[in-house]
Amino acid sequence: MKKNFLSLMLLCALCACSSSDEEKDMTKPEVVESDTACPLECDTYHKGGTIPFKYLFKDNQELGNFNIEIHNNFDHHTHSGSAVECELGAQKQPQNPWVYNKSFEIPEGVSTYLAEEGIAIPTDIDAGDYHFMIRLTDKASWQQIKSVAIKIVDAE
Amino acid sequence: MTLTTILAATAMLFAANDSTIVLHGVTVVDAAKRDFQMKSSQNSVRVSQTYLEENVAGSLMQSLEGIPGVKAMSIGSGQSKPTIRGLGFNRMVVTEDGIKHEGQQWGDDHGLEMDQFAIDHAEVVKGPAALLHGSDAIGGVLNLFTNHVPVTPFEGAAQVFGRTNNGQIGFSAKVGGRHKRFFYRANMTFVDYADYKVPTDSIQYYSYYIRLKDRCLRNTAGKEQDGSVTLGYMHNGFHTDIRVSDSYSKSGFFANAHGLEVRLSDIDYDHSSRDIDLPYQWVNHLKVLSHTVWQNDRWMLEANLAYQKNMREEHSEPVSHGYMPIPDGSLERRFSKDTYTGKVGIRCGFASQHELRAGASVEHQRNKQSGWGFIIPSFTSTSAGAYVFDRYTVQENLILNAGMRYDHAHTHMHHYEDWYETPISATESVFKQRSAEMSRNFNSITWSAGINYGTGNWVFKANVGKSFRVPIPKELGADGINYHIFRYEKGNPQLDPEESYQLDCGIFWDNQVLTIQIDPYLNYFPNYIYMNPTPDYVEGLQLYNYAQSRVFRWGFEAQVDYAISSHWEAQLKGEYLYAEQLSGEKKGYTLPFSTPWSVDGGVKYLFDWKGKGFAGLNAHIVGTQNEIVPPEKTTKGHWTLNASAGKHFALGATTLKVALHADNLLNKRYYDHTSYYRLIDVPEPGRNFSLMVGLEF
Repeated sequence: MKKNFLSLMLLCALCACSSSDEEKDMTKPEVVESDTACPLECDTYHKGGTIPFKYLFKDNQELGNFNIEIHNNFDHHTHSGSAVECELGAQKQPQNPWVYNKSFEIPEGVSTYLAEEGIAIPTDIDAGDYHFMIRLTDKASWQQIKSVAIKIVDAE
Repeated sequence: MTLTTILAATAMLFAANDSTIVLHGVTVVDAAKRDFQMKSSQNSVRVSQTYLEENVAGSLMQSLEGIPGVKAMSIGSGQSKPTIRGLGFNRMVVTEDGIKHEGQQWGDDHGLEMDQFAIDHAEVVKGPAALLHGSDAIGGVLNLFTNHVPVTPFEGAAQVFGRTNNGQIGFSAKVGGRHKRFFYRANMTFVDYADYKVPTDSIQYYSYYIRLKDRCLRNTAGKEQDGSVTLGYMHNGFHTDIRVSDSYSKSGFFANAHGLEVRLSDIDYDHSSRDIDLPYQWVNHLKVLSHTVWQNDRWMLEANLAYQKNMREEHSEPVSHGYMPIPDGSLERRFSKDTYTGKVGIRCGFASQHELRAGASVEHQRNKQSGWGFIIPSFTSTSAGAYVFDRYTVQENLILNAGMRYDHAHTHMHHYEDWYETPISATESVFKQRSAEMSRNFNSITWSAGINYGTGNWVFKANVGKSFRVPIPKELGADGINYHIFRYEKGNPQLDPEESYQLDCGIFWDNQVLTIQIDPYLNYFPNYIYMNPTPDYVEGLQLYNYAQSRVFRWGFEAQVDYAISSHWEAQLKGEYLYAEQLSGEKKGYTLPFSTPWSVDGGVKYLFDWKGKGFAGLNAHIVGTQNEIVPPEKTTKGHWTLNASAGKHFALGATTLKVALHADNLLNKRYYDHTSYYRLIDVPEPGRNFSLMVGLEF
């Protein structure tokens, strides 16, 4: 019993050595920032309109999936310290805040993907400051998060 | 390990005075060192009260971090959890006087719930210890002893202490006495600390930029209040005592981030560095422990009974999240856990060379949860186990041992539904079920065998053992969002008990001047329970599901002690650990929170001038950790310079003890790979001086 176990241990040690040169992905995917991307920090949209979401995703090996989530920032619960500081509206209690949360699949086997989605903005929601969250994974399950502050205003 | 634990316990109980072998002190008897090495085929380190006093830190685990292979996973300055050889949480066991200490072991954001000043001595067993402790004792066991029996009608000690980094002030006192067959002990401890300082003006996390006021980590202040009373009776080889202890702590979480989320609040945190605002937690641990030993020349009977009540509440400012509206009140989560434990053991010698031990234990647990956040369902569990163990002294310098244990565990988890509705279509909403009603039974057979061989200046040890762990309810039944870490955690009701096989070796060499110890180990898990991050999203968050994979680990600790002269001592110690997943989706990756290599070098000057004293300097070097698994970050290596000094003064019949400690003298800014705040890029505490003045009477 003990002998078997020792040989098992030894075997494991050898396995461990031989498999260590396998290529592991240690790099996070990238949400590429550019002027043509949308939405950008401090963008304003109208109720009943559409956010023409467009971002380029990249990974060193293979992309996973992405998710878009929009939640209100009426309580100023988070703040972005990025280069652009958006002017926030007054704090307020949410009545009927917009909650958007949808996951999207990226085709298998790609390392670059241009994501484009038209996100319809409901008409009956609270106007105000919102956070537009982009979450992106790669196949190895590294995640990249990008937060964009946007403003929803009443329809013109 | 069975040996050392029981021997340690009995030695403490029956010896006329404390017979602890001082491994780290100055009065080491070489024969005693060697005897200690021959006592168990496992690697264990005994920690004396002197060591604990000289190394007193913000928490017990931080005090024990100097032991190779032992690490503290810290949350803030006053709380931390232990890991042994990189395994923590439910993969190691903490015991107090032989009874498993039951907190919320699975959580990474709270501490050990133990009064470090009540502890008489401790012992760290590295490697599998399932035989004596059943489930969870995979990485090792931290045995804490609070069972010193007073020898005089009245004795006691009082200590005041403070730390500069977090403005900690504390007071601890203990008294005890023995009157013929009866004895008593009592102790209490009060600690209060402010926000702790880090050597940086700001913290950058994702795209957030958090400015710190006076380099203080907002709202990390806390306090602790502990007390205990022991009453005992001993006569003619019979000993019984009952100990009631309570440990309460309240501490704030870093205000600018709760879990992984950056927060902005209207609370004026900078108003005081000593107050505790939201988010905060409080923990209370009540323990009633009865310990009875009855022994004569041929056998020893031991019985332990314990009741533990562990309460924990976490409060934070209510905010809406996803489909969850703003909740009422600040109670985010509450856990209330009752544990009843019973243990009996017998030890007897026969045929002069054999020492046989057998024992059985039962445990019943109930854990209820409430609050608006959900991580684990309420559950009840019942387990029972029995073991037999023989130690065979072939000759004075060759000892063999072997043992076997059987355990059965039953876990029942209760269903849980969200208190708010989640839309599932354009018109329909439901209260989503996060945990289903479920029952599981688990059986495990574990074993261990070992050898001790001493020749000349050498002692060789080898131990091979199997240990296991019953999957916890979170791993079996979680199905929801963990807003702390921003992930969707999905349990797996089909998980098997996690098993681990380990081969430990110990090589010890000692002459009067030099002591060398090397403890290598190989460890294999056929089914390590791993929370595997996936590329998928559920309800807007990354899905993590529990899976089992084959894992291989190896490592070693090494220590060299050099007694240069009667005044000078030098010490060099270090540890290395490698872990790799051999199967599953993360094949080739390491395990979470992999401990980087570290080396400690120190010199100590000893003197005797109106009482014993010492002064020492130590460099602590930690390697870079590039072996990570999503979502971790690599952590750069660092080194810190630390100093300590201590002096005893005899004042009539009493002794005055002064201990001074300086950590991170150069005020280096560094990250600890296994610290809770590492995830949000908070560096470790800056320069700190601590002072303790104690009086023993």
